[in-house]
Amino acid sequence: MGLKEKIAEEYTAQNTDRKSDSPISKKREEAYQHFTKLGLPSNRHEEWRYTHIRNKLPESLSLLRYPIPSSPTFHSFDSLKAHRVVLVNGIFDAALSSINEQKGLTITSLKEAFETKQEIVEKHFGELVKLNEEHFAALNTAFATDGVFIHLEKNIEATLPILIVNLSDNKGESFSQSRNLIVLEQGSSAYVVEDFQNSATAAFVNHVSEIFLAPAASINLTQLQTETRHTTAVYTTEVELLRDSQFTCTCVSLEGKLIRNNVNARMRGENAEAHLFGLYYGTEDSLIDNHLLIDHIVPNCQSTQLYKGILDDESTGVFNGKVFVQPDAQKTNAFQSSKVLLLSDNAAINSKPQLEIFADDVKCSHGAAIGQLNKNELFYFLARGIEPAQARALLTYAFANDVLDKIKLEELRVYVEEKLKSRLNITF
Amino acid sequence: MLTIKNLTVAINGNQILKNFNLDIKAGEIHAIMGPNGTGKSTLAATLAGREEYEVISGEITYKGKNLLELAPDERAREGVFLAFQYPVEIPGVSVTNFMKAAVNAKRKHLGLEAMDAKSFLKLMKEKMELVEIKKEMMSRSLNEGFSGGEKKRNEIFQMAMLEPSLCILDETDSGLDIDALRIVAEGVNKLRSPDRSFIVITHYQRLLNYIVPDVVHVMFGGRIVKSGGKELALKLEEKGYDWIKDEVGELV
Repeated sequence: MGLKEKIAEEYTAQNTDRKSDSPISKKREEAYQHFTKLGLPSNRHEEWRYTHIRNKLPESLSLLRYPIPSSPTFHSFDSLKAHRVVLVNGIFDAALSSINEQKGLTITSLKEAFETKQEIVEKHFGELVKLNEEHFAALNTAFATDGVFIHLEKNIEATLPILIVNLSDNKGESFSQSRNLIVLEQGSSAYVVEDFQNSATAAFVNHVSEIFLAPAASINLTQLQTETRHTTAVYTTEVELLRDSQFTCTCVSLEGKLIRNNVNARMRGENAEAHLFGLYYGTEDSLIDNHLLIDHIVPNCQSTQLYKGILDDESTGVFNGKVFVQPDAQKTNAFQSSKVLLLSDNAAINSKPQLEIFADDVKCSHGAAIGQLNKNELFYFLARGIEPAQARALLTYAFANDVLDKIKLEELRVYVEEKLKSRLNITF
Repeated sequence: MLTIKNLTVAINGNQILKNFNLDIKAGEIHAIMGPNGTGKSTLAATLAGREEYEVISGEITYKGKNLLELAPDERAREGVFLAFQYPVEIPGVSVTNFMKAAVNAKRKHLGLEAMDAKSFLKLMKEKMELVEIKKEMMSRSLNEGFSGGEKKRNEIFQMAMLEPSLCILDETDSGLDIDALRIVAEGVNKLRSPDRSFIVITHYQRLLNYIVPDVVHVMFGGRIVKSGGKELALKLEEKGYDWIKDEVGELV
């Protein structure tokens, strides 16, 4: 039995005991119908040309829930003052989570929100994902049962950051399809961290976050894939920005067998801003793929895509940065930059800036650079007695530094800096 | 300290240094002057071990060792220090982290443990005062956005931190106003010691008013054509290089 047949069987099994007339069930069914048409992407599909994910998914994989280990081990960011939400194999773990009370702020499992926050959930769930185009988002939507639900009422500022640790943990393989739904009402703001970790021998993660920003709402999102060895993952983030809202996303991918990040922001209200920053580091035969989309639909919005890649050994990077400026989106200000440092002759990058501009009064700039360490800079280090390996590591770190600076939560930034230093074998 | 014999060096196939000879004893300051394009900076780069500079023939003995057999970083750890004519800007690496890496590389080489944070900061503070560097500069990215004077002061600061035996100052005075020049020169003078030698490469005599050399050499066409005391520099300042060219012309 192929993976697709298996998915069909498991979908049926999962849905036999469900009421089929609820809007959520209808959405799931719609998603499933799209998925059966789309299947899993082959590399003949333009968006998956360089990312051969199909061969990375074992046919033995079961999509149904894996047993939850009783005491999973993970990095818990103890020094960070935050709401802590822990998902284990995609399932909310109440015992490991600690959520403080704040008026106007709701943080619950998505499973609970399906029951208790029905109205908000039904209004938003599955509304941003492109079910007819995105294979994995459709698959996730068809199976989504749990994850994190965050809701901020009007003008509420979440006083503490919200840390979501999304852990894959199993003795053998682990599979999870977590789903986060984040709804920020007018004028509210939050700092959210989505941290992915894997302690299973092999994990497949298909994650989707949908983020709704009402007028003047703002979210600062940090996504970490720094403890994700042996992980094959598709992380999809879909954002809708209304008037005056702000979305800042910093995504750091330091480990993983195959990581695909989709970050799609749609500017639907004027004066909105979306800033996407990313750092990825590939070693061995890993593949890290960042697919970004900023869709300027209305006038007077600003956007940034600033991504830096470090590729060593036989690793591969993929960068696809789409900036669409629709005919109505006059006075758009869009900036894109992709810089890649190739540290090995066997590393490769497939870089595709994709600007499609249909308005005439806009400011759009983009730059793509692929290079190696600068010889003059390297010599300066050698001339001070620093050994070549250490000199290269320090210069590589320096290359990454301005993206790390975008992480505004200090404890988190220091954690990522230390991670990168240790990955680069920097010894002080 | 340093003996250079019949050194011929080429870059991209062009011979720049031709049968160059120089002998420097411990504690001496040698000034090397000469017009543009005579090989002064090539000498500095060759001593520091830049790979683009190809040594065709000759030998360099430094403290009894064959310098040409050592990699650039080994030379530095053995006490060769080049103060760059154009210090490189390195965004993302702070002056502090750069120096930490350099000091600890040298200590490791000497079989010493890495310096603890407190002693390191104390050492930094002490050496910063030497060239009047402000504390804020330490957390800034190395040379990034530094003024010309700040860059050169930073070079001398690094020299003070690393306590080298052979210091090569490649046009450290170029682009400096008189105040910066004085600060840099005073820093160098404080670092003079009986077991430390200096090669001061310069176009202008004015630096030598502050850093008084034991020997002044004039380079022309890839080798030293005239050597003398500090009064030679004054004569060059007054008369220019043409009279030397005439003399050399006669020799050729």
